Amino acid sequence: MRRAVLLVVSVAMLVVWVFPVLWGLVTSVKTERDVLAYPPTIVFEPTAVNYHDVFFGGASIVPNLVSSLVVSGLTTALTMLFAIPAAYALARLDLPFRRATGFWVLATQMLPPVGLVIPYFLLLRRAGWTDTYQGLVLVYLTFALPFAIWLLVSYFEEIPREMEEAALLDRAGRLRALWYVILPQAKGGIAVTLIFVFLNSWNEFLFAVVLGGNTVRTVTVAMFNFISLEQTQWGRLAAAAMVGMAPVIVLGLIAQKHIVKGLTLGAVKGGGRR
Amino acid sequence: MSRRSAGREERRFALALFLPAFLLLVATTTLPLLYLVWSSTQRLDLTMPWLGGFAGLENYAKLGADARFWQSLRLTFVYTAATVVLQVAIGLGLALLVMQVRAGQALLRIGAILPIVLAPVVAGLFWRSLVLAPDFGIVDFLTRALGLGSYNWLGDPQLALVSVIAIHTWQWTPFAFLVLLASLAALPPDLYEAARLDRAGPWQRFWHITLPMIRPAIVIVVILRMVTALSAFAAIFAATGGGPGSATEILNLYAYRLSFTELNIGYGSAVATVLLVITLSVAFLLFALRRSR
Repeated sequence: MRRAVLLVVSVAMLVVWVFPVLWGLVTSVKTERDVLAYPPTIVFEPTAVNYHDVFFGGASIVPNLVSSLVVSGLTTALTMLFAIPAAYALARLDLPFRRATGFWVLATQMLPPVGLVIPYFLLLRRAGWTDTYQGLVLVYLTFALPFAIWLLVSYFEEIPREMEEAALLDRAGRLRALWYVILPQAKGGIAVTLIFVFLNSWNEFLFAVVLGGNTVRTVTVAMFNFISLEQTQWGRLAAAAMVGMAPVIVLGLIAQKHIVKGLTLGAVKGGGRR
Repeated sequence: MSRRSAGREERRFALALFLPAFLLLVATTTLPLLYLVWSSTQRLDLTMPWLGGFAGLENYAKLGADARFWQSLRLTFVYTAATVVLQVAIGLGLALLVMQVRAGQALLRIGAILPIVLAPVVAGLFWRSLVLAPDFGIVDFLTRALGLGSYNWLGDPQLALVSVIAIHTWQWTPFAFLVLLASLAALPPDLYEAARLDRAGPWQRFWHITLPMIRPAIVIVVILRMVTALSAFAAIFAATGGGPGSATEILNLYAYRLSFTELNIGYGSAVATVLLVITLSVAFLLFALRRSR
């Protein structure tokens, strides 16, 4: 009896969580006629026509994938460049006002994006940077950088102190110690942080829709190409969503074991029973 | 080398590492926020640019008499409270259940990741079309099949609020589930053995052992979920756009619509500033708790 309840609840929960994506996948390989059939059909002849349209049709999302890739890639690279040394200093060194600085970084990470998008709209317009890659990357740093610093701090704190003390006694120089001793130790944490920063940048929407335009239109914004007041192109929308979300789903699965730590900014460890 | 100069050297090194990121953060976040506060004291309406100029606290005074603002504030409160309570309650319940599952736990954890990694805007679009659309979505199909009739889930003001809460809860309950499952799995098993020998019932064990032990994790989940709920935008934007009317217009959407649909940026800035103050209070709470840990 108890086993049965467990089984039912577990299966139900899996179905609820997986369903929208799975149904999106099913819809993406349906023809227009099959999509609109009511009640929904489960048995049908699959077609690749929606994917063909999404890649090669008039509303191709390939330029949007490129935009997303450039914005997310640049954001991730810049973020890591600045976050790694900063996180190390915050985690391990005698930084003045460490507590207050830590709070400030954390608070920055939690800012409501709508509070930033308004000033950036005015500022970027004045600078002529709306609808440019440099403009959007600058704005993406506002959430990526504090997130990365805070997550990396939790990884740096895990490295045994003896490691760096040994390196320092060696008079190897602090920068060399950081590069040759600390960074290799934190390799895993750095990789996980990198994945999460890329994922968050890829999924961002508000900044992209307000501050982007025809030149820089990310894939999350491009989803709306398939929706208009007159009609929604369900099949193409589903195909575009599948293509647009494939990278983050793959990255999420790669970082699966670290997702709890990533989501709680290192406050809760572990990935459940193995 | 003397101790003191070594300390000074370390401090200088720490600053050299930290300063670039610090300056970048000040430039990209703090300064724009000050600019937001400044623009909230301006008469800045892009449809009437000739009226521009310093307005002092006029925009804030206007908030008091703005019924749409108060409704928006109330919706923000309802949305945040409902989604956080639902996520933690369902997430904890599921985590306690799944702790007893041996085979297939990995599969459940992978399934839980799917909603989390999805862009909220895509989650909103999926729900708007595949799940909730009348004559099309699966929920409509199910309610009809069960003889409950058909509902306009996103078109009816009452139901639309329920729907956007459901979407948020769907997307983020796996977060609460995964975090609480991880902290449950980290509890020492001998604790339960002792309790079982003491003939403590399952409820007593939960109430007196499990709950106090995982309380830190619950607190972190609650605060982080609050922050996410307070900055929720894309899923609601995709599903209802804040409507019908202003039925799902939480402060984020109100500030967005004021600034970028009605182009009244000065007033929009004032609404965003109110939201900023609320969010920063929550952030401060998190830090205070982290410190006391």
